[in-house]
Amino acid sequence: MPRAVRGLLIECDPSIKAMILKYDEDHHEYIVEDLDDENHLVIKESQLEALKNRLDRDLDEKIMQLDESESD
Amino acid sequence: MNSVDASEHYELNATELAPSLLTIVLDTNPHAWASLESSLPLTKAVANLLVFINAHLACNYANEVAVVASHTTKATWLYPVHDDDVSQQQPADADGDVAMNGENGTGSQSNKYRPFRMVEERVTQRLKQLLDSTNSDDLRGNTSTMLAGALTLALSNINRRTIAWAEKHGGADLEDAAGDGGTGGGNAGGTGPGRYSASNDEERLQSRILIVSVSGSSDSAHQYIPVMNSIFACQRLHIPIDVCKLSGDAVFLQQACDATKGVYMALSEPRGLLQYLMMAFLPDQRSRKHLVLPTRVDVDFRAACFCHRRVVDIGYVCSICLSIFCEPPPDNECLTCGTPLDVGDFGSKPALIPRKKKKKKRVNGTSTVGTPMSTGTPPPG
Amino acid sequence: MAASTSRPLEYLEGLPGMTFNKLYQQPSTALAIFRRMLPDLAKCFVMALLYLKDPLPTQDLELWVKAESKKQRDNALSILGRLHILSKTLTSENVSAYMVTNPFADSLRKALTGSEDSQSFGVFSQHRNEHRKSISDLDEYARRQWEGVLGYMVGTEYLKDSGHPEVSLSKGVKQLLQAGHLVEIYERRTEITKDGFAFVLQDVNTQVWHILILYVESAEAIGMDSVEVLSFLFLLSSLELGQSYEKKYLSPVQLRTLADLADFGIIYQRSPDAPRFYPTRLATTLTSDSSALSGTVGSSLNGPAGPQGASGTGSGFIVIETNYRLYAYTSSPLQISLISLFTTLKYRFPNLITGKITRQSVRRAIDMGITADQIISYLHTHAHPQLRKHNAGHSTSNTAGIPPSILPPTVTDQIRLWQLERDRLRATSGFLFKEFTSLQEYQAPCQYAAEIGVLVWKSDRKRMFFVTRHEQVAAFLRSKKEMR
Repeated sequence: MPRAVRGLLIECDPSIKAMILKYDEDHHEYIVEDLDDENHLVIKESQLEALKNRLDRDLDEKIMQLDESESD
Repeated sequence: MNSVDASEHYELNATELAPSLLTIVLDTNPHAWASLESSLPLTKAVANLLVFINAHLACNYANEVAVVASHTTKATWLYPVHDDDVSQQQPADADGDVAMNGENGTGSQSNKYRPFRMVEERVTQRLKQLLDSTNSDDLRGNTSTMLAGALTLALSNINRRTIAWAEKHGGADLEDAAGDGGTGGGNAGGTGPGRYSASNDEERLQSRILIVSVSGSSDSAHQYIPVMNSIFACQRLHIPIDVCKLSGDAVFLQQACDATKGVYMALSEPRGLLQYLMMAFLPDQRSRKHLVLPTRVDVDFRAACFCHRRVVDIGYVCSICLSIFCEPPPDNECLTCGTPLDVGDFGSKPALIPRKKKKKKRVNGTSTVGTPMSTGTPPPG
Repeated sequence: MAASTSRPLEYLEGLPGMTFNKLYQQPSTALAIFRRMLPDLAKCFVMALLYLKDPLPTQDLELWVKAESKKQRDNALSILGRLHILSKTLTSENVSAYMVTNPFADSLRKALTGSEDSQSFGVFSQHRNEHRKSISDLDEYARRQWEGVLGYMVGTEYLKDSGHPEVSLSKGVKQLLQAGHLVEIYERRTEITKDGFAFVLQDVNTQVWHILILYVESAEAIGMDSVEVLSFLFLLSSLELGQSYEKKYLSPVQLRTLADLADFGIIYQRSPDAPRFYPTRLATTLTSDSSALSGTVGSSLNGPAGPQGASGTGSGFIVIETNYRLYAYTSSPLQISLISLFTTLKYRFPNLITGKITRQSVRRAIDMGITADQIISYLHTHAHPQLRKHNAGHSTSNTAGIPPSILPPTVTDQIRLWQLERDRLRATSGFLFKEFTSLQEYQAPCQYAAEIGVLVWKSDRKRMFFVTRHEQVAAFLRSKKEMR
């Protein structure tokens, strides 16, 4: 019998997906269904903001920032 | 990131959609309308037309309309009318507005959207004037209509409005559009390396012409050359000419629609004018891309000769300037370019020679005639 | 459709069917909704059907539209359905057909032909000798009021020290902005919200609609009939600029609305008790696309304030170069503070400011809740005519068949990329269908979902698919089950 589950379809690149999977390992608080291809998964609707913030924080730390000079 | 990236250029899809300018050329030839009296009198046709105009104006806040009357002896504006024309009939008040006292008292003004009423008043008023000023001398034996003049008026107004609109909005104007040449021209090398894409077409004022025709065309054969010139101008500027034919047959108008990709409809039942107008002629160029619209398959490509303005199936064509003659020109000299034509044997009717010509003529009807304009072949002399 | 149409459209769609019935009684409402809310193709459909005696068979309508434009057709039909303009019936031969629903059809016909007596399009003031307001006075009034509202949101202190005439905002305006979550008040200090930032960067027409919808929504709460308010707004949109209208024909609710709208500069009245009112351009261009505003009104509303504002060179004042430098010919504190939201400003001259759009400045804006699209659309709306002229003709992006853009493509693309850096995932809310027992069972609903345009993702291997709306698919599954 088919079932319908409410959620947010997340489209992202594999690296981001890997990060989300890792976050979820501890408490399984984000993911509803891992869609098993490289860049899709379904998460709980309420967790989007928290997830985004966490990603932003980690990305800011991990990604090297280009040196941006304001000189002309 | 294959799905979420910006590799495709970001474009504003929500660009403002250019409004459209609808120019209606109304054939007001009294002879022709008299013959339609039983099915669709002029007054009723005009009433239908006004509803149609309102519908056009209703489609977009910035849509514009212009109405030209193509009368027996002249072509004249019904709308828009310049202030000095109007002031002759109605005193204007200090700020140049025409006093509306007349209708203000009637109380009827509140149930009609203002722009609708303005057009309606002007058109009916000017039309009445026009018909009142027509005397019997103008009518005597004159069953034609000044189509060429009306088309020229329409075109010049379109040009003016397009430039004004482009100035205001920074879009491309008609000259830009003409830059990429007539559709059949194929001389892209002439104007810059693909500088103007078709999208410029979208950005400028969308103009189209609707001809409501009642007169027979054989009467207007004497206007063949100016009419064809207007048609080619429209073709070049991508202005579709729509034709709504209420009676008679219109040879050149079929060609007009064919050349400009307009809609051609000959109404079998003139009474249903409004419905035809609403369904076939209301959609603007943008919507037409999505719609299947009536066009003519069997276009009458006949031309009128340059010497007697007769509509001919078979004729003689000058080999230099492609002028058409119904009979060999006097002195074997082309009337247009003066080239001495060496067709010595035409008098003796060797059946082969004229037949060859007529075959060619039939196949290439319009395009032969059109060549000087659309591809810019320099006419010798 | 233009983004600007979406908000009023969304609001209208949310209304119950009965409300539409009431709304469409007024010809002016029918006309305004027809003009403002419908895509081109939908307008063609309505007009084609309006004077038909019999409903048009569905098949005929489908034949009328080219096969490759099916998407546009379905979109048009769906909007018409949601606005209760078109409905499906049966012809006499029992063929399914479309017709324009009645209060709407009647009212639109009345609007076109003018054959009715209700004062749906306002009543002119008969008074001739009064001190008439000129159009430029009205424009100036509307501009001042509207800038006052925006200035209040961005922070009024800008306006005070620049010698602008103080605009007094009524309590109602402030409450409305607060109710719409455009500003929030912390300890008596006004702070703009994320929504507010998004709001101030929109073009004026969209802003006005946004406010009006907020107003209608809040009208119910203070005991006004939202339908009456809404249809009054549509009435206002069909009035003529520069004309004064009699107030004595208006109902109490309409009079109250009028007083509130005066605060926003949407209408003008000399005093709250004046017997007449003038609509300003903000009202009369409500049913236009945004483009109509960017012309003459734009110059007064969007453009530089003060004496330069009257120069009449069109709305645009921003020049942006491919090296991300931005030059804005403005001295309006409001515009400067808006530009500074996403630009690092460098110099300020009496009539010009220069700056540069940088990664940091854009990131800062995005952190405030402004999206790249909003920045781009702001720049687009206010692009200098020179920029328009130049790039319309010579765009280099032409070669790939991409329409020429007004702004340098490098800049718009980069702004987007800067946003994407932050936004590494795209979320679509909806429903995941799973646990299908067989491939056949999976395929049919999946295909159906694709047909009605709700399918976002599917995997044949896992027999799962994701849709944005589940009602129709669920109904489809149920009907399948019953058949078995």
